Amino acid sequence: MFSIRNLALYLIAMFIILALNFLLPRMMPGDPLMAIYGEEALVQMTPALKAELVERFALDQPWWQQFAAYLSTLFTGDLGYSYYHNAPALEVILGRLPWTLLLVGTTLIISTFGGIILGIESGWRRSSLQDKSLLTGLMVLGGFPDFFLGILLLIGFGVTWAIFPLSGAITPYSGFTGAALVLDVLHHLFLPVTALILCHVGVSYLLTRNTMVTVLKEPYMLTARAKGLSNLVMRYRHAGRNALLPVITRTGIQLGRMITGVLFVEIVFAYPGLGYLTYEALLTRDYPVLQGVLLIVAVFVLIANFLVDLSYSKIDPRIRYAH
Amino acid sequence: MFQVRYKIPRLKTRISPLKVSLALLTLALACCLLVTACSKTGQPLELVSYTIADDTGDWGYPSPYTHYARGPGYIRMSFLFDTLVWKDASEFVPALAKEWEYISADNAYIFKLRGDVTWHDGVEFTAEDVVFTFNYTKEHPFQWVDSSIVESAEVLDKYTVKLYLSKPYAPFFQDVAGTQPIIPKHIWQDVEEPEKFIAKEAVIGTGPYKLADYSKEHGSYLYKAYSDYYLGKPAVDELKFVKISKEMIPAALKGGSMDAGDTPPEVISEMEEAGLTVITAPYAWNAKLTINHQKEPLSSKQFRQALAYAIDREALVQITQRGHAMAGSPGMIPPTSDWYNPDTPQYEYDPAKAQRVLEELGYGLENGYFTKDSTEFVLELVTTARFKEVGQFVKQQLEAAGIKIDFRTMEDKTVDAKVLAWQFDLAIYGHGGLHEPSILNKMITGEGFNSARYHADETLNELLENQLTEMDRGERVNIVRQIQEVYAEDLPSLTLYYPNWYWAHDGSVELFYTNDGIAFGIPIPLNKLAFMEYKAM
Repeated sequence: MFSIRNLALYLIAMFIILALNFLLPRMMPGDPLMAIYGEEALVQMTPALKAELVERFALDQPWWQQFAAYLSTLFTGDLGYSYYHNAPALEVILGRLPWTLLLVGTTLIISTFGGIILGIESGWRRSSLQDKSLLTGLMVLGGFPDFFLGILLLIGFGVTWAIFPLSGAITPYSGFTGAALVLDVLHHLFLPVTALILCHVGVSYLLTRNTMVTVLKEPYMLTARAKGLSNLVMRYRHAGRNALLPVITRTGIQLGRMITGVLFVEIVFAYPGLGYLTYEALLTRDYPVLQGVLLIVAVFVLIANFLVDLSYSKIDPRIRYAH
Repeated sequence: MFQVRYKIPRLKTRISPLKVSLALLTLALACCLLVTACSKTGQPLELVSYTIADDTGDWGYPSPYTHYARGPGYIRMSFLFDTLVWKDASEFVPALAKEWEYISADNAYIFKLRGDVTWHDGVEFTAEDVVFTFNYTKEHPFQWVDSSIVESAEVLDKYTVKLYLSKPYAPFFQDVAGTQPIIPKHIWQDVEEPEKFIAKEAVIGTGPYKLADYSKEHGSYLYKAYSDYYLGKPAVDELKFVKISKEMIPAALKGGSMDAGDTPPEVISEMEEAGLTVITAPYAWNAKLTINHQKEPLSSKQFRQALAYAIDREALVQITQRGHAMAGSPGMIPPTSDWYNPDTPQYEYDPAKAQRVLEELGYGLENGYFTKDSTEFVLELVTTARFKEVGQFVKQQLEAAGIKIDFRTMEDKTVDAKVLAWQFDLAIYGHGGLHEPSILNKMITGEGFNSARYHADETLNELLENQLTEMDRGERVNIVRQIQEVYAEDLPSLTLYYPNWYWAHDGSVELFYTNDGIAFGIPIPLNKLAFMEYKAM
């Protein structure tokens, strides 16, 4: 429910995250500039540049003034300068963000809806052969790590049958525009997304199925049957809708984790994404990029939470009255 | 009436959602198969395009001050910028300079430059640009060249330059004249912050290719041939550097979507059967056991020698590198090099001898492990994950000889920090540059974490200094041989092995490994001169 109180809570959460983002480098032993820029970068810096950075981050001032300086650099969109990439950290992150959103977004949408549909069907026909085989099959698939499925798909469809490309998000320098470009992107997206979906659909499926099992026992299902509604309508409009809550919650939580969590798939498919960027930044101690990614992930988690909160009242009107 | 009510209409058609989903999935698959057919590029056939596979992809904007501080970064820049001299497969050849002369009286080089060179923007190249470049590097050093070597640069006439050196420097051509990219004065004279200069003008050079596109996130580069290149237009019109995971490179090469790339040793026969050409890199990289010679008991030379006797480097190569390497020589320089000294002490594997040496030093065997005055000692061996198997093997060998080892792998930067702070006993590192003996200076007395940082032997220090200033090649070889002997005696680090490296390509461009590496010693077969010729396959 969109209320001032909820919004205020989100703003407080955001503020705490910013504060932590600010405090952590300064709590690490040693020079905060070193924690922000890393030891190697510091060695390369000229004294004039160091002095400029000290001034910009207000490192020689009381901490509340430093925090204000930090917030103000943040509002100008300055997430710091990546010494490894020789570019502003924001630029580096924004270059990869659309691809991550494409990969993660597509995966989440398809795996969630696929899981819901399969879960409803399975829950409706629980203990039937269809249900049991689907349950076993999806659990087995879900047990494999995502990159393993990715490698299998890549070897099968990329190498052996050569239907799909071996790497990247697009065919580099192909000169495609418009529809051809969209098709090219989809062509490259297919295998990584399939690997991720196969891995993640199992959880949505299980959650929906299990909630279905409890929901089907409810008295209103009997009423629905008595009204003479078809199986289809009963499954979806009555049982299914009430089974949605746990899955939607879980999807909201997943979004935040998956932004950096698809790192291995990114490596296997050489797909540009934030996961690999974060890993690289960790190895090279590129603190501005790491902090930038942390911030972005936090923002997305909060947005996802907010959207999930909003959708609760749509899915289950009873919740509106809880406040 | 009521009876009619009991007839409840039911849905005539039963659409199972499961079947619908399956139908949609099949439709999606069909679409993608359609896309495969549509995705073939509509490139004009006359354009000669060459694609190079790389598993890192992004090496920075290919301008001298913004490419990443690694070999592949320099290589990508080298296609756009030229140096005074360059190397072909075997020796130094003229590049921007067509002739040169060393004036020993002034300790200076006179370079006569070509008169037909233009920058990518059409402006003429002259001696002014060369002098400007060397002066600019005094304020903004180029990351690979020691700017203190060239003391000053002077324009003698429009196409002649005199470079005064601060002291005689034997590897001048390898380290400076063949490495320093020449930048255009008319563009860089107003650039105050070269590391942030990523405008289009920053990649204007004299090289055979121009930058058409660079994508950081996709890790790809597109180069187009520069038709007014002084050696003629390159035969390959378009060069593409593309990112792909290491494991997929062989598949991409066999499939034909890429033309050249790094190949693991295991698939070489497969590649050759598929009709690809496989080239072998000369040995220029080694993995070393770095020893903390500042600390007891490793501060004793004999103790370090005992370690060398206890490690079977041949077996190490067979087991950890599956035979795709050569056992290391304790003098660091590989046996295949012209600088190698065949009389370098080799410390043939002899664990019994190792034990005798330790006993002579006063250590006694107790329960299979050596102790001094009945106190146990354990040596800590740290490596990064890359050298895990090597570390385990070394541990096994040393423990078999009676030296207890505590082995752990750590993250790269942590190992670097520990080693730099001398908080270790043994570590395993790797570095390249073994073509040019100046590497011995960097890796014996240098200050980096890669270096042995060993200054205790005065004879060695003197020899190392002399080899840099000895301009006579024959004399220099002698000095380098002596260095290997003394260094192998002192053994502050032990070279374990030299790995075999291979590249595979489709044969349309004759890629070659430059003797002594590209520029300062990059062991990658992407020499721009190879792209001047092309054979359609």
